[in-house]
Amino acid sequence: MATVSTAPTTSRPTHPSHRPRTPRRGLPVLGALPFLAPALALYGIFLLFPIVSAIYLSFVRWNGFPTVPQIWAGLANYQDIFTNDTVFHTALRNSVIWVVLSLVVPTVLALLLALALNNRLLGRNLLRSAFYIPAVLASIAVATMWTWIYNPNSGLVNSTLTSLGLSSWIQDWLGDPQIALYSVFVAFVWQTTGFSMVLFLAGLQTVPADLVEAAKLDGASAWQTFRNVTLPALRPTFTVVLVLTVISSLKVFDLIVGMTNGGPAQSSQVLALWSYSQSFINHNFGGGNALAVVLLVITLALVLPYLMWTLKEDER
Amino acid sequence: MNAVRRANYPLIGLWIALVVCALIWLAPFAFMVLTSLKSTADIGRSSVWALPEVWRWDNYTAAAERGELWTVAKNSAYIALIKVPLGLMISAAAAFAIARLRFKRQRILLIVITLGAMVPVQVAIAPMFTTLSSMGLLNSTNGIILPYLAFGIPSQVFFLYGFFRSLPRELDEAARIDGSGNWRLFVRVILPLAKPALAALFILDFVATWNEYGMALVLLQDQDARTVPLALQAFQSQFASNYGQLNAFIIMSILPVLIVYLMFQRFFTQGALAGAIKG
Amino acid sequence: MNIPSKAAALAASALLLTACSGRVQDNTSATSGGQVKLSWWMVTQNADTANAAFKSIIGDFEKQNPNIKVDLQYRAVDAHKDALRTTAGSSSGPDIYYNWAGPGLGGELVKSGVSLDLSKYYEQYKWADRFNPSTLAAYKQYGGYHGVPWTQRTEVVYYHKDQFAKAGISAPPTTYQEWATAAQKLKDAGLTPITMGGKDNWHVMRLLDTFIETNCGAELGDKLNTRATSWAGQPCVDKSFEQLKQWSGNYFNKGFAGLPVAEAGAMFHSGKSAMQLEGDWFTQQNIDAGDDQNNVGVFPMPTGTDRLYGFSEGMYISKSSKHPDEAAKFLDFFTSAAVEGKYLGVFSSVPVNKETKGENPLAPINTQIAELTGKAKGFFLNNDQNFSTDVTTEYWRIQNGVTSGSIAPKEAGALLQKFIDTHKD
Repeated sequence: MATVSTAPTTSRPTHPSHRPRTPRRGLPVLGALPFLAPALALYGIFLLFPIVSAIYLSFVRWNGFPTVPQIWAGLANYQDIFTNDTVFHTALRNSVIWVVLSLVVPTVLALLLALALNNRLLGRNLLRSAFYIPAVLASIAVATMWTWIYNPNSGLVNSTLTSLGLSSWIQDWLGDPQIALYSVFVAFVWQTTGFSMVLFLAGLQTVPADLVEAAKLDGASAWQTFRNVTLPALRPTFTVVLVLTVISSLKVFDLIVGMTNGGPAQSSQVLALWSYSQSFINHNFGGGNALAVVLLVITLALVLPYLMWTLKEDER
Repeated sequence: MNAVRRANYPLIGLWIALVVCALIWLAPFAFMVLTSLKSTADIGRSSVWALPEVWRWDNYTAAAERGELWTVAKNSAYIALIKVPLGLMISAAAAFAIARLRFKRQRILLIVITLGAMVPVQVAIAPMFTTLSSMGLLNSTNGIILPYLAFGIPSQVFFLYGFFRSLPRELDEAARIDGSGNWRLFVRVILPLAKPALAALFILDFVATWNEYGMALVLLQDQDARTVPLALQAFQSQFASNYGQLNAFIIMSILPVLIVYLMFQRFFTQGALAGAIKG
Repeated sequence: MNIPSKAAALAASALLLTACSGRVQDNTSATSGGQVKLSWWMVTQNADTANAAFKSIIGDFEKQNPNIKVDLQYRAVDAHKDALRTTAGSSSGPDIYYNWAGPGLGGELVKSGVSLDLSKYYEQYKWADRFNPSTLAAYKQYGGYHGVPWTQRTEVVYYHKDQFAKAGISAPPTTYQEWATAAQKLKDAGLTPITMGGKDNWHVMRLLDTFIETNCGAELGDKLNTRATSWAGQPCVDKSFEQLKQWSGNYFNKGFAGLPVAEAGAMFHSGKSAMQLEGDWFTQQNIDAGDDQNNVGVFPMPTGTDRLYGFSEGMYISKSSKHPDEAAKFLDFFTSAAVEGKYLGVFSSVPVNKETKGENPLAPINTQIAELTGKAKGFFLNNDQNFSTDVTTEYWRIQNGVTSGSIAPKEAGALLQKFIDTHKD
């Protein structure tokens, strides 16, 4: 579920001089159990068990029918992914492209918008809402909207280009394998920039105003102020935004299903969707789950280091 | 704050640029609304920005009927209004325990829980289906609440953990001296302080639950149990040639979420701030 | 008081609540006091007339058989397929289910043990003599009898007579050469020769399948489509992909690749194109969209093999059904000449029961199609029903790769064969 998740604070004792000398008492383990139980139970059944099940299934050959036995196949599915799967390399490449683009485009855009909207402007709240509102929509609604916008006959893009006299710029937005992925990405930027913008706005509130003043008095230019005062203060925000972006961009699914279904000719396929397609459409559950495991490993590799680092910081 | 004495030209220029950008950003909405009021013939013939020849308000009523808007909205509301508060309670309780727990495995537990945020729904869908099926909870608005709760836990616990960690220990001490047990401490002391964070999470989770599509698609196949995003999908094949009604339905389906967001968005900006983006 | 489990109690009661009051979808055939409830799973019907027809058929049956109730459920195509898979072998599956008869779709369910062998009912109700032999073939192909035919779909080329006239085409083409020439003439006259909805891969596939049949002939075509022969190194296969590339580059509507098929249809209905490859279900849509029926005609794909492009849809009984006898009784009623005749034209225009006499006049186009079907020597099947689903996915990838230029036509056959070879189960 895409709910917000931000970094934990670096725990600084508020009154260091008043730190009591008696050993800290926390909840004894037994007392904590009832608080943890519901969360752990739900998590265990609906998240942990499926992950374990997915890992198991990645080692069998199975078409998904409960009436058909699951046959152990060892590493065969993984071998198939790297040798016989005609779509895997495209899906992997697209996933990487998608992650990299997500880290750059909506992030920079969000930062610029946040900086701009941090000023006291007329109708500031309205403007902020305008940019954030697409994030409130269901992905499938966004997909439907943008498919219609890209419609070759009566869609917004082609109609506008034609009336501006730029009909030579018209492309087969969702039908050209070279650009289909990027057309979908535009919709993704529209949908997610607002969210990062809000996080940056929150982060900008923590930039020490007195430092900014001091810099100005020292004659620093806007850019120097930004680089030496604002950016460092925004570092925790950046890490949060980047981690959330990586996670959500690797999971992207609804938008692509709704707009191109991975096509044309599997050119807009990504790992999450291809894993699903192998299982649910091609009835190759072993292959689909092996892809899911690969995806999980990639996500872990990207996010785990950050998690460990954050929590270590927290221990200080 | 010093009032600006002279007209600040760069700022005005920035404002104009922002307004233009915002208008372009909102163009898709305007386009949808306009299209939703046109007849099919009108859409094919006239220019995209032309006003409708005949204002087809009946597109909305027809779409609401065809897509069973009231049924699906009722289901979505039912699920969201149960799941969101319940989920927040469960996550807050767990985060509270981890934030106040004192043993080595605390960090590992947190990491394990947070890793759950990386699992794409599609990976978990098949085993989830089997589990719910064996419990007899398929095609049930009640049944789907369980996996929804589970998927909300990782990020909420992570977020609230950070928040709770920032609350000073002295509060705990004081409460215990007053004779409070864990539960009282949690409910009377900690939770009220967490209001901004909880409010922010409430909005975000409500929106996410209302919009959830992947799990609902597989777990709610019965026509009566459908949620709003599912109804949208059924429209796509039926109405591919009736874009007026399709657009009308989309507009209607996003209206509730828009309203909830606009009503509560001040909590969100406050909460995101309180949500531990602290230097 | 230290309340140890207030939170746990809360959670437990929540779980209890959901477990007890969850609305459970019960698909088991209930038996209570001699009453049998049959569950029947169908795909969503677009036409209101079809929905009404199903209701009244069930109503009539229940009147004649007061101890049997039929519960009909609709799902979208993908959801229907998935529901059948996930409930295979369990009690939450249906008694009767709809499926496409091709080996890749209905056949997968047979191979996975979902379908009940109906040989004893074929004997009991004499179904073997009831249906057209060419249609019945698809239900005998697994040994024994699986499923009962419901429809025979025939796919032809719909065209606009005025556009043909404008382009100087005097008669519908009967050979591939004439067809290609006609397309060129239409293009030269400034018209869109043929509309395709490329987003729905199976639409473009229809043309490719037709070329395969034309170039390879019936026998080799069948061998290829059942993967009994290799696709690699076949000149007729290369030629077919070559022709596909040529047609998609020259004669398809602009921007076909991202267009859904319903929109291609809308273009045809409003006169924006000359031809469209469709099945008999298209006629009613065409009428509803207001296209002048005097201006619309059909001709069979000019394959030169006397076979029509088409497929059959059937009703199957689940192996795990607890009431197969009652289910068979219903299917006997459902496929009787009286019932089929009463609703001929609502679901399809071509009867599968040999004795059916239609009670209502068919739309002129559908009469034409029915005549064509009567004269045909057999059918060749849509390949997405021939192939297993993973081969179908690859077939579409290659087909789209050819039309978009990323795969050379002469490599296509070898690529497909490579996939088939490495994915034999």
